[in-house]
Amino acid sequence: MHTASSMKESHDPSQNLLLGALPREALARLEPALVLERLELGTVVYESGDVMNEVYFPTDSIISLLYVMEDGRSAEISVVGREGVVGIALFMGGESTPSRAIVQSAGHAYRLKGQKLRAEFDRHGAFHHLLLRYTQALITQMAQTAACNRHHTIDQQLCRWLLLSMDRVNGDELTMTQELIANMLGVRREGVTEAASKLQRSGVIEYRRGHIRILDRAELERRSCECYAVVKRESDRLMQDQAVWSKDSG
Amino acid sequence: MARTNLLLSALPKRERLDVLALCEVVQLTFGTVLCEPRRPYLHAHFPLTGLISLVAGVDGEPAVELTMIGREGMLGASLLLSVDEAPQRAIVQAAGTSLRLEAAALRRMLPESPALSRRIGRYLHEQLIELAQTAACMQFHPVEARLARWLLMTQDRVPGDRLQLTHQFLADMLGVRRSAVTIASGALKHRGLIEYSRGEIRVLDRSGLERAACGCYGMRHA
Repeated sequence: MHTASSMKESHDPSQNLLLGALPREALARLEPALVLERLELGTVVYESGDVMNEVYFPTDSIISLLYVMEDGRSAEISVVGREGVVGIALFMGGESTPSRAIVQSAGHAYRLKGQKLRAEFDRHGAFHHLLLRYTQALITQMAQTAACNRHHTIDQQLCRWLLLSMDRVNGDELTMTQELIANMLGVRREGVTEAASKLQRSGVIEYRRGHIRILDRAELERRSCECYAVVKRESDRLMQDQAVWSKDSG
Repeated sequence: MARTNLLLSALPKRERLDVLALCEVVQLTFGTVLCEPRRPYLHAHFPLTGLISLVAGVDGEPAVELTMIGREGMLGASLLLSVDEAPQRAIVQAAGTSLRLEAAALRRMLPESPALSRRIGRYLHEQLIELAQTAACMQFHPVEARLARWLLMTQDRVPGDRLQLTHQFLADMLGVRRSAVTIASGALKHRGLIEYSRGEIRVLDRSGLERAACGCYGMRHA
């Protein structure tokens, strides 16, 4: 267990798996421009339609990307943690972000100016390759989430969502309100409360004052729809390839 | 008049001719699967008059359409990501012609074709927006409004006002049961917006259909 103060001392860009997979020289070029930020729960990192000037590499925070409709309702389309980066539109050539990025679990992220990102991206080296691979994994996640939202029960979706979130922080605990989960899944809060109580009664999770702890991960996986496994398999595969491709041999 | 693919026609002449020199015109047959998720792409397609749907499926449930690709775009944009495998299944949604290019040839061209790379990156960005929008739309909007949106999007991408579509196919696209499509299309027909018979839908009142569609239509793809 980390105390708050030891967490503070242990920050390092390589805790983000994309940055961590970079060869030493590439990371050294980026490092002076990486700014560590503390992100509080519920903070809006980008608003949908904003012109983007920066990207974020989470380390121990989770950022959720929501699509916001005209009437204000929203649905989560993907979740980004230490395995990824928020702001892919910046290197895809889009001027503004199509989604709202909101902090789903408090923690830290490294911020990088768009200009610096582009400069390293345009070298067509490991950074370029990593970001493109990650984009492919993100597309898979978005597509699966769309189909999942359509067809699977709230119980299954909550399990999928908890598993994806846990994978994105290094631990078995999330700080989270049911209201926020309901917003992510695009369902009513009562639906989440009911689904969470079922999991709690069965001893799968423990929910106390905004803290969710996983007690039985295997059971959580069993109760989730296949969407968790599909997304995980694909992103593991792409990450694996990345590591082989970009790591120094020495 | 020959129809063009708008993604290609936006390229500078030299790059456009380079791409076209490697393309062949092929006929797309309704229902053909052009690629499967996590399998390598064989070809990229730049549709001329045909229409391609990217769909995602979950165990045993009907697939749902995530994005559609017509002459404004291409199949295989994700080849730009240095990944050979397709992220989703692609299926021909409306028969027609397409410019077909070997996936490997496109991969080889990209490093030397900056304008093409930029166009494809930009298009991929737009596809992701559409995917996200569709995901939210599916969750919140009634079938009738989604069907109206879907018909408008299809009509925007293929010539003419007649669409060859069965209720079953529409159900698969919208991720709903066939009976739900029958009810929704019955309501649109009753309002005089469309008519249909034997697997053919005709749009009678386009502006009425626009009013019946959810706000998702036209937000970015007007």
